[in-house]
Amino acid sequence: MADTDTSRRTFLKAAGSTAAVASIAGCLGGDGGGEGDDSNGSGDGNGSTDGGGGGGGGGGQSGGTLVYSRGDHPTNYDPQQTTSGEVAKVTNQIFNQLIQFVPGGGGELEAGLATEYSLEGTTATLTLREGATFHNGEEFTAADFEATYRRFVDEDYEYYLGTENASGYGPFTLGSWIDSVNVQDDYNLELELTQEYAPFLRNLAMFAASVLSRAQIESLGADPASQVELGQEPVGTGPFTFEQMDNSNQRVQLVRNEEYWGETASVDQVIFNTIPENSTRAQSVVNGDSHIIDGIGAQASQQIQNADSATLAEKDGINVGYMAFNMARFEAFRDAKVRQAISYAINTQAIVEQIYEGFASQADQPIPPNVLGYNEELDPYPQDKEQAQSLLEEAGQTDFSFELATFSNPRGYNPSPVNTAQQVKSDLADVGLEVSINQFSTFSSYLDYTDQGKHDACFLGWYTDNADPDNFFYALLHPQVDRSAIPEDQDWVGFDTEGYNTLNVSAWANSEYMDLVEQGQATYDEGQRRSLYQDAAQIAHDQAPWVFIDYAKTLRGVNQAVAQDSYTVSSVGGPYLNTVQLNQ
Amino acid sequence: MVSKRFVVKRLLLLVPVLFGVASLVFAILHLAPGDPAKVIVGQRASTAQVQQVRTELGLNDPIWIQYVRFLGDAVVFDFGNSYQIARGTPVREVLVERLPVTIELALYGQVLGILFGIPLGILSAVKQDSITDHLTRVGALAGISVPIFWSGPLLILLFATSLGWLPTSGRIGTAFFLPDTWTLLGTELPLTGMVTVDTLLLGNWEAFVSAVQHLFLPAVVIGIYSMALLSRMMRSSMLEVVRQDYMRTARAKGQGAKITVLKHGLRNALIPVITVIGIQFGTLLGGAVLTETIFGIGGIGTMLVAAIGATDYPLVQGTVLTFALLFTLVNLGVDITYSYLDPRIQQ
Repeated sequence: MADTDTSRRTFLKAAGSTAAVASIAGCLGGDGGGEGDDSNGSGDGNGSTDGGGGGGGGGGQSGGTLVYSRGDHPTNYDPQQTTSGEVAKVTNQIFNQLIQFVPGGGGELEAGLATEYSLEGTTATLTLREGATFHNGEEFTAADFEATYRRFVDEDYEYYLGTENASGYGPFTLGSWIDSVNVQDDYNLELELTQEYAPFLRNLAMFAASVLSRAQIESLGADPASQVELGQEPVGTGPFTFEQMDNSNQRVQLVRNEEYWGETASVDQVIFNTIPENSTRAQSVVNGDSHIIDGIGAQASQQIQNADSATLAEKDGINVGYMAFNMARFEAFRDAKVRQAISYAINTQAIVEQIYEGFASQADQPIPPNVLGYNEELDPYPQDKEQAQSLLEEAGQTDFSFELATFSNPRGYNPSPVNTAQQVKSDLADVGLEVSINQFSTFSSYLDYTDQGKHDACFLGWYTDNADPDNFFYALLHPQVDRSAIPEDQDWVGFDTEGYNTLNVSAWANSEYMDLVEQGQATYDEGQRRSLYQDAAQIAHDQAPWVFIDYAKTLRGVNQAVAQDSYTVSSVGGPYLNTVQLNQ
Repeated sequence: MVSKRFVVKRLLLLVPVLFGVASLVFAILHLAPGDPAKVIVGQRASTAQVQQVRTELGLNDPIWIQYVRFLGDAVVFDFGNSYQIARGTPVREVLVERLPVTIELALYGQVLGILFGIPLGILSAVKQDSITDHLTRVGALAGISVPIFWSGPLLILLFATSLGWLPTSGRIGTAFFLPDTWTLLGTELPLTGMVTVDTLLLGNWEAFVSAVQHLFLPAVVIGIYSMALLSRMMRSSMLEVVRQDYMRTARAKGQGAKITVLKHGLRNALIPVITVIGIQFGTLLGGAVLTETIFGIGGIGTMLVAAIGATDYPLVQGTVLTFALLFTLVNLGVDITYSYLDPRIQQ
C-alpha cells in the first residue's frame, strides 16, 4: 500500500510539472544543431526567391531553384496510370512524347522523340531521334515505344500494367486506334491503324503517350503490382530527372538533366510544392515563396493583380463549359425549340462577366476559337426572354420543371458552379420554368450520376486532351453506338444502348451531325476537315443539345523573379519549365 | 497498482467498438454515391473498361462478401492498396508515412494548450473574480467558440501576409529535403516522420528552425481550443479544491499561500484535467484535419479529405479505423491513468 502511495505521489509530481518539462523540451531544441551533419539531401540552393532582379531586363541567368506551387500532390507519376492533369504537370518535365506540342502554343505540333512523322492512309511512319538517352543511361530506340505501348494496352504482354491500373487513356489514346506497332529498326517505326484516323498524331503528343524506358519496364517485373511502382520512380528522356518525392511535405523534386537531347534546362532544379488554399497559394507567389502557381480563382487573381511583385499570365484555354439537356430522360428536351428557348433564356453573358469575373468568354459552339473547324459565323445565344417564351409556346411546353445537377467545387471551365446554377434557375423562373438544383459534393459521385444518365440537365465541361476538334465533337456529342440502334426520325438514344459513349450526357444522336464528325475523323486534308467541322458546329449551335456557356482562360501567377518571357502559358501540354530562367 | 483484470476488460471492450466503427465506415462508404472504378480509369474510359476494373477490384461481388472480406483484412490491419490517392501503395505504408505528421501537429497543439491553459486556469481560480479572472474567462470562452477555419486564415493573414514573420504554409522550407535515415553510432536508423524531431536527429539546425517556424501557426491554431478548454477545467477544478478542509489546514499550519496552492491544490485539481487532456487528444486529431487543409500540411487529414473525394475505399476505411483505434487507445490510457490516480475508479 505504501508503495502504491509513493508511486502515485511521484506520478502526480511528474504530471504537475508537465508544463515545465514541455518548456524545457522546447528549449532543448537549441542544442541539437550546429554539428553540420551533411546527410541532409540538398539544403543549399535556396533559389533567391525574393526576385531582386526586377521585372524589366529579362536577362535571366541559368541556375537556381524554380518553385512551382499547385493545389494537389498526387503520389504516383506514371503517365499510364492516371488521367489527372496534376500528374501530367510533373511527368511532362520527366518524359518526352514522340511528337510534342509547341511550348507556349495553342496545340501546334513539333518533333519530339520522332524527328520526322507522317500519316498516310492507315499507316503512321516515324523516324526516331538518335542519341537521346533515358535518365537511367539507356539509349532511346523504337523498342522503348513498343514496350511503352504494350505495357499500356496489350493484355498478352508480359509486363502489362493490368486492367485495374491502366487509365482510360489506354484505349482512348492508343489502344482503340493502333492495330500493330512495327519496329523496322532502332530508329524507324511504323504504326498500323485500325482505320483512317486524323487526330492520331495529336494523340501521340498527349502526356499519356509519354515514352517509357523498356529497361525500366522489364526491370520492374512481370506482374501488374510491380509495374505500378514505376510511378514512384519515373524514368524518362525529358529535361528534368526525378530526384525524390516527399509525401509528408507534399513536394516533388526534379533536377536538371545535363544529358538532355534538346536544349538543357536553365534552372538547376524544380520543386513542385503543394498549397491547397487558393488565396494562400496566391500569397506565396506574391511574396516570392513560389515562382509560378496555378489553380487561380477570382479572388486569387485579384491578389496577384494588386501586387507589384507578381503578374497574372493568361492564355485562351482549349476547353468548353456547358449545360447539357438529357434528351433520353426528359421528354420536353427532345424538342429543339425547348432547348433553344432555354438557351435564349439564360444570361450566359452575365455568367461569364460577373460570376466568372471575365476570366472566360461566352461559348457559341462545342469547340473554342483556337481549334480547327471553329465556325466564325456563329454567335452566342443572346439573352432574349420574349423569344424564349414564344419558342416554348410554339413547342407547347410551358410551365414545366426539371432538375439541374451540378458539382459544387470549382473547376476550370466552371469556377463557380453553384452560383451558375442559381443564375440559370432565376433566369428560367422568368420564363415560367422551375429548376430544382441537385448539388453533388464530390466530383466522382457527380460523374457516376451523369454517366448513368440520371440527370434531367447537368453542368459539365471539358479540357482538351490533344487540341483536336474530334476531341470535342466526337468525344462529347457523338453517341458512338451502332447506327441501327438509333430509331429513324429520332435524334437521341438511350444511355443503356450497347457501347454508348457516356461522355455524351445529352444523349444526342443527330445523324447529320454524326456523319460530318465521322467524316472529319477520317479526313486528312486540313481545309476539308475544317469545313466539315464548321458545318457540324452549325448544327450543334442550332440544335442546342447544350446551353453553350463558356471557354475559360488558362491563368498562372508568375513572380517577378522569373525572367520576362522565359515562361509562357500553354493551352495544351506543358508547363514548359525547361525554358524558364530566374533573375539572380 | 492498476489491476490486470481492469486493463484486459477494457482492452476486450475495444473489440466491439472497433467492429462498430468498421461496419459503419463500410456501410457509409458503400451507400454513398460514387464509383471508385470510374475514378481510377477516368472520365475517358468506356463502360466496358469500368466494368472490367470493378470486377478486378471485387466491387461486383455481393456486398456481404465484400464486407466479410473487409472485416477479415481489417483484423490483420491489412486494407489493401489505395485505389487512387496513393495509387498502388499499401494503405498501411501510407498511414505510416502520414500519421506522424498529424500526431506531431496534435502534440504541439496539446503542449501549447497545457503550457498556457493550466497556469491560466490556476491564476484564474486563485484570483477569483479579479480582473485577471474575468479576462481569462472571456479569453477561454472566445478560444472555445472560435472555429479553426476562421482563426487559421486570420492568423495567416496577420503573421504571414501582413507582418511577414512566419511562412504561409507547409511544414518546412522548400529548400530542405530530409533523407530517410539518420546515423547513430554508425548504425542507420529510420527517421520518425516528425519534422522537428528529425531535423534535430540529423543535427540540421537551419532545417529545424524552418520547421519550427512553419509549425508554429498551425500549432497555435490547434492549441487555442485546447488551451481555452483546459484553463476552464483547471479553474473550476481548482476552485473546488481550494475550498477543501486540507487546504485550510495547510494554511492554518502556517504554510504560504503559493506553496499550498501548488503543492496541495494543483496535485488534486489536476486529476480531472488529465482526463480531459486524454479525451481531448482525439479532438485534436480531428482538429488537425482542418488545420492541415488550411496550412497545406500533408498529414492524414488532407489525405482523408482527398480520399473521400476520390471514393478511395481502402484508404478511407484504413484511415478512419486507425483514427478510431488511436482514439480508443488514448482513452484507455487515460482510464488507466485515472484509476491509477484514484483507485476507487476500478470498483
